[in-house]
Amino acid sequence: MEEELIGIKNAALSFVLEAEDLKSLEETKLQFLGKSGKLTLALKEVTKLPAEKRPAFGVLANEVKQTIEEAIEDKIKSLSAVKKTTLLEKIDVTNPGVKPPLGHLHLVTQAIEEIQSIFEKIGFVRVRYPEVEWDWYAFEALNFPPNHPARDDWETFFVDEKPHPKYGPVLLTPQTSSGQIREMTTNKPPIKMLNIAKCYRRQSDISHVPMFHQFEGLAVNTDLSISNLKGVLDYFVKAYFGKERQSRIRPYHFEFTEPSFEVDVSCGACNGKGCKLCKEGWLEMGGAGMVHPNVLKNCEIDPSVYNGFAFGWGVERVLMMKDGIKLDDIRTIYSDRMEFLEQF
Amino acid sequence: MNIKIVDSWLREFLDTKTSVKDIATELSLTSVSVEKIEKVENDDIYDIEVTTNRPDLMSVIGIAREASAVLKNSRFNDLKIKSFPKSFNKFPIEIVNDPKLVNRICAVILEIEIGDSPKEISQRLEKSGIRSLNNLIDVTNYVMREVGHPTHVFDFDRLNTKKIIIRQAKKGEVISTLDGKTHVLLGGDIVADDGTGKIIDLLGVMGTANSVVTQNTKKIMFFIDNNNPVNIRNTSMSLGIRSEAAILNEKGVDPELSLKALLRGIELYEKIAKGKVISEILDIYPNKPKEKKIKVDHEKIKKVIGVELETKTSVEILNKLGFNAKASGSILEITVPPIRADVSIDEDIIEEVARIYGYHNLPSVVPTFLSNKVVGFADNFYFEKKAKNAFKYFGFTEVYTYSLISEELFDGPIDDAIKLKNPLSEDMAYLRNSLIPSLLNVVRDNKGLDELRVFELSNIYLKKQNDLPNEVQMLSGIYKKPHASFYEVKGFIEQVLLDLGIKNVDFKKSQKGGLGASIFIEKDYLGEIEVLDTNLVDFELNFETILKHASNKKTFKPFAKFPPIVEDISVISDSSTQDLINTIKNQDALITEVTLKDTYKDTRTFHIVYLDFEKNLTNQEVSKIREKVISVLKEKFKATIKE
Repeated sequence: MEEELIGIKNAALSFVLEAEDLKSLEETKLQFLGKSGKLTLALKEVTKLPAEKRPAFGVLANEVKQTIEEAIEDKIKSLSAVKKTTLLEKIDVTNPGVKPPLGHLHLVTQAIEEIQSIFEKIGFVRVRYPEVEWDWYAFEALNFPPNHPARDDWETFFVDEKPHPKYGPVLLTPQTSSGQIREMTTNKPPIKMLNIAKCYRRQSDISHVPMFHQFEGLAVNTDLSISNLKGVLDYFVKAYFGKERQSRIRPYHFEFTEPSFEVDVSCGACNGKGCKLCKEGWLEMGGAGMVHPNVLKNCEIDPSVYNGFAFGWGVERVLMMKDGIKLDDIRTIYSDRMEFLEQF
Repeated sequence: MNIKIVDSWLREFLDTKTSVKDIATELSLTSVSVEKIEKVENDDIYDIEVTTNRPDLMSVIGIAREASAVLKNSRFNDLKIKSFPKSFNKFPIEIVNDPKLVNRICAVILEIEIGDSPKEISQRLEKSGIRSLNNLIDVTNYVMREVGHPTHVFDFDRLNTKKIIIRQAKKGEVISTLDGKTHVLLGGDIVADDGTGKIIDLLGVMGTANSVVTQNTKKIMFFIDNNNPVNIRNTSMSLGIRSEAAILNEKGVDPELSLKALLRGIELYEKIAKGKVISEILDIYPNKPKEKKIKVDHEKIKKVIGVELETKTSVEILNKLGFNAKASGSILEITVPPIRADVSIDEDIIEEVARIYGYHNLPSVVPTFLSNKVVGFADNFYFEKKAKNAFKYFGFTEVYTYSLISEELFDGPIDDAIKLKNPLSEDMAYLRNSLIPSLLNVVRDNKGLDELRVFELSNIYLKKQNDLPNEVQMLSGIYKKPHASFYEVKGFIEQVLLDLGIKNVDFKKSQKGGLGASIFIEKDYLGEIEVLDTNLVDFELNFETILKHASNKKTFKPFAKFPPIVEDISVISDSSTQDLINTIKNQDALITEVTLKDTYKDTRTFHIVYLDFEKNLTNQEVSKIREKVISVLKEKFKATIKE
């Protein structure tokens, strides 16, 4: 009887081994373990055995049954695995994926984020001040003489509104420098400010738009020097444009700084050799300077104790100076065609 | 302002062996920017940008003086006038000046012969970007470029009245300038009146046709007028006459140069136009500039520049630039030449020393001190960025539209609008009070697209009495799609607010009428969703309200220890979903969540979660609550409950 059980086990295992699909495996299961299966029938023979042999037979029979069942289970698993592989072969991995929606942030937003992050690393704190401002903040306190061209109707937008008895006419800020006055009249040194805002000027051509953005840095403390200003702008130029770009300052003139500088960055297109995009290898980035003592005085900061430096550059300008951007008309940046906006 | 300087002309006043390229580089780094060098024939032309505070550099002589301070082994040779012509004839024209308008007038009468200029003169002018016309006009331009003072020439015989009154023009007076154009004056322009009310010159800007030299001119009045820059700027800008004389005069020219210019002109007329002086030299000089002296502590100079510098070096630099500087101890005593009207305080002197020493020679040191402001991580800019990014990942594209709009784009009565006094065009004459009209423009500009999602985060401007306008940041957007759904837009807003940590948001029927919703955060009005069309839904949210409630505060709620019991209940009612949810939720504290699961025809199915944090809920407890819910819905809302 034991031999018969072993024989059934071996036969079943070889059927399982040879099974190539779930169907033949199912048949094997029926053939051995079903109601009239070989093992089931063999077990019924137990009554023919003497009573003392029955327990040992029972143990063996269970072992055989378990072995066959496990073999069938394992085979089912391995057959299913084969089936998955077959399914995978039906995927064309080059078909497009099912994409979640993805919009676009405007180039100016992306530039502002980058600028803010760079200056934050060297301790400048971003602020925001009015875009519509009184003359006193935009010009008078910044040391502009009464008849300065920027204060006339040709360059600056004025609001059709009665002038303030103390602060003068209402205008649209032509630069972010009014933020210097706002900062220094509400906060005392040490100051390290970054003001990024919309500005407005009465100009529209290949390098001017009536509305644009500037970022303005202001540092006020004791013992600041031109070398400190150079340090900050060198840091910005390397961080924003890349390590290979150089910067330099040249004499320039602004009412609210003395000395005043024009800041140049080496041309990325020709590596400073000189080409048709640049002036003898350099691109003008914008203005900077040491805060004029009259400006400090106007904000009730004692110029014999404190001094400072400031800079104000165009967001669109530095964006257009970036390597590879290939935008040569500033007005394009304000195109509202999706064909443009979705490129970035 | 740009000026072209011819190299050979420059070297008449500058002794140096330095190459053209090196002169350009040195000037750019220490003084004025040489933007381009152009080679014409065997000469070089520097194209120089001169800053508005340095009109003294708008001339060959000015650049030569400056270059001599900058270049090693160089020397400045100032213009030497060989003779001061003497004539005993009284000046034949009576000139009545107004010192408020003109600082100085120098004039002389000459007999001349009109003709072409010699090549040397005409070519230099042409290379400098000035057209050569005839010897009489060419001299005026040659002197202006060389000395830096504008000059003018009249046909003496056309000045019939022999009288000139300097006065301000009245509004509406009409003149013809020498280029043949007619201008109506706005008033305040400096003009020469011949005593009869007739205008015979527009001073400092352009001569008039009725007094200029012609082919028949035999005698001239060579005339140097040093004008009030403010009047010149107004005239030049309002009439659109941007002559070189006007550009120079509006910056303020040193009146000390007037006589020098006159004498140089006489010399040239004698040389190239057979000129003969037939009058005394007239010099009316009411506004002579005062001599300025400045004392600066050299310690301050060193501190601001950021390097150790010897006193001797600073003194040398200043003297080369034409200042008269002396050191006593660490104090520098400096006399400023009148031509340097731009220099008046310590910082001006610091600039002179620093730039000639060379900004490129200064070290670069990032200041390490910190601002006195402590700013946390989640400031306003953080939430702005977060909100923008949320819309980006909802598939929206950000736009920047102009804050300045036309009357048509203003939302509401135009009297409420902030209006510009001097708009660039009618399209940009007002400040906007809503972003939606601008965004609808974007939709129009992309009308080929059936689907569009755009948003903008920008200011609007609201008028305030006797104060600056209220600038309010708005977050607005437009969703365009065939069958665009209100609920999709509501969903975007709900998710953004959730991401910004804002709870207690209520959507109510639009206060503005129309199809849409008014949105509230607690009691604060947040904004609107408007359904404009079957394919167009917009929203506008007050971002300052968002900032008021936004938070990145985190609170952990313990996990439930016991399983919840969930069930659905279907209701037919006229009441709003929000009212039904609130009512169901308020019936018992064990109802922790009620959501709308499904809507089919007029039946709404709500999903209710019962949960007790303390113990296992029994069916009995739940059915008691359910009965309460059902009876309230039936009584209060006349609702039908589908079991």
